[in-house]
Amino acid sequence: MKITKRAKRNAKQLFRVCMVKDLLDASRVRQVVQHLVASGERNSPSILAHFLRLVKLDGARHTAAIESATPLPSGLRTVIQNGLERRYGPGLTITFTQRPELIGGMRIQVGCDVYDGSVRAGLEALEKSFEAR
Amino acid sequence: MADLLKEIEAQIAGAKATAAKQNVGVIREIGDGVAKIEGLTDAMLNEMIDLGKGITGLALNLDETEVGVVILGDYTQLKEGDEARTTGKLLQVPVGQGLLGRVVNILGEPVDGKGPIKSNETYPVEKIAPGIIRRRSVSQPVQTGIMPIDAMIPIGRGQRELIIGDRATGKTTVCIDTIISQARLNKAAEVTGDREYRPLYCIYVAIGQKQSTIARVISVLEEAGAMPYTIIVASPASDSAANQYLVPFAGAAMGEWFMDNGMDALIVYDDLTKQAVAYRQVSLLLKRPSGREAFPGDVFYLHSRLLERAARVGEKYGNGSLTAMPIIETQSGDVSAYIPTNVISITDGQIFLETDLFYQGVRPAINVGISVSRVGSAAQLKAMKQVAGKLKGELAQFRELAAFAQFGSDLDAKTQAQIDRGKRIMEIFKQAQYNPIPVEIQVVVIWAVQNGYMDQVPVARVKEFQNKLTEYFTLRKSQFLAKIGREKALNDELKAELKAAADEFKQTWQ
Repeated sequence: MKITKRAKRNAKQLFRVCMVKDLLDASRVRQVVQHLVASGERNSPSILAHFLRLVKLDGARHTAAIESATPLPSGLRTVIQNGLERRYGPGLTITFTQRPELIGGMRIQVGCDVYDGSVRAGLEALEKSFEAR
Repeated sequence: MADLLKEIEAQIAGAKATAAKQNVGVIREIGDGVAKIEGLTDAMLNEMIDLGKGITGLALNLDETEVGVVILGDYTQLKEGDEARTTGKLLQVPVGQGLLGRVVNILGEPVDGKGPIKSNETYPVEKIAPGIIRRRSVSQPVQTGIMPIDAMIPIGRGQRELIIGDRATGKTTVCIDTIISQARLNKAAEVTGDREYRPLYCIYVAIGQKQSTIARVISVLEEAGAMPYTIIVASPASDSAANQYLVPFAGAAMGEWFMDNGMDALIVYDDLTKQAVAYRQVSLLLKRPSGREAFPGDVFYLHSRLLERAARVGEKYGNGSLTAMPIIETQSGDVSAYIPTNVISITDGQIFLETDLFYQGVRPAINVGISVSRVGSAAQLKAMKQVAGKLKGELAQFRELAAFAQFGSDLDAKTQAQIDRGKRIMEIFKQAQYNPIPVEIQVVVIWAVQNGYMDQVPVARVKEFQNKLTEYFTLRKSQFLAKIGREKALNDELKAELKAAADEFKQTWQ
């Protein structure tokens, strides 16, 4: 589907309307989608497509994926959660996953930011440094 | 062994586990050497992006939700959904004298099969040109070895002289001759141990050319012994548009190293028309708005920021220089097209090569009437200025009179003499390719024609006379030529000596 500049602009305006105190308000999002679907305008699908993309990107920005080789104790989880909220603000959706291939350590991704302190990442960096030599 | 263990123990004790922050993104769209990457919120303009699999990209478009990246490598290995990360580094190339004699690609990697390049330093490909304070005016000549150029359109070190003309008019040859001339001068200075002479290193940037053409240029330079003083940066026609657009900047970075380190360098961009076309392609793929002839709006800035990097810097800043010889190819001699007018307005002069002259046998096919050098005359050798000062005006008069004489045969003696002299001057300016003439010989030949030594020689034999005169001076008057080189001007004593030698030669000439 071709998304025109105008559709993008409209989608962005609607997205801004859905923000409350720098956080996306789910009820407003639903309202916007319902309104656009009901309107039946010719360019509604392209506006909706771009609106969906903006919502997805916002979701990714406010999602913290924490991966570790072994399950993390609840005390440590709370420490990590607090630390991330301090840095990225409230409204973070935090998920904890277990990935044995990390060997040890932890990998945290919040939006585009990645903090990789896993053993596997360390080994990969070492491998690269040998290749560079 | 014990020392090693202690060293390792000390390092372990001092080690601190840290997880460095990285900025990542995901390829959303890829094709034709351009990728749209979602994420990469910390990406800088012109930053190198690590696309994995040893492939690098360059961030050119920073949009709100995505980054437009041109891929400098085999983009067919990448696919949608692959992860990309910022590197925090701008695109850089290796620089230094280790590159001399080598053929490299856009990233400064060798493509000549002569092993790795010895270079410890890198320079960013995009760099702001030296400012007004750092610059000084052009005052030292670049001896091209091409007589009409050195005599009438002199080029100075730090100048930007455009070579413009249709296809197959000898644009590349002019530049190759200049490179060969520099190599000969550099070598001669090394042999004689002349410490005053500042060697001029050359960089030849091949943009979008056939591999066979590049191979020919390399073999010509190797045969002429010019490769030890030359770097060839190649992005052939088979390279991606992104590489072709970036390669002149890589060459400029290599040239700037010489300038920053107090040395002189000459860079040939062969040619900027192809670079503009490659940039248009990249811009259209990045969906940038297009303007005249579908070129993006910043195509002038593309060339101006590249050519502004050629400069002569002051003594406080190393006294180095970077001379630029950009080449522009015109279509049917149309110099008023978009890219030619842009580059004409940026450079400090232009040398026009014409197809008509080329097929009339005037080679190099330089149209001296419309070729100019705006700053080079300040750098011209005084001896050359003395003998060739009036040459341009005389040739202009000759062209006018010759055109007028076509309508009638009755001409007064003075007009006929002017036409005859003009024909002889045109004849001495004909020169074989890859055969630059030393400036001392040029001075002698021009002095001889200006002082009537060739007036009695039939036009058809002028070239023969010139060759014999050159041979005579090279073999029998080498001391005198060396004197001109040292004095750099023709004083009364030298003039008398030159006259005596020319008279002696005239007597032996049959």
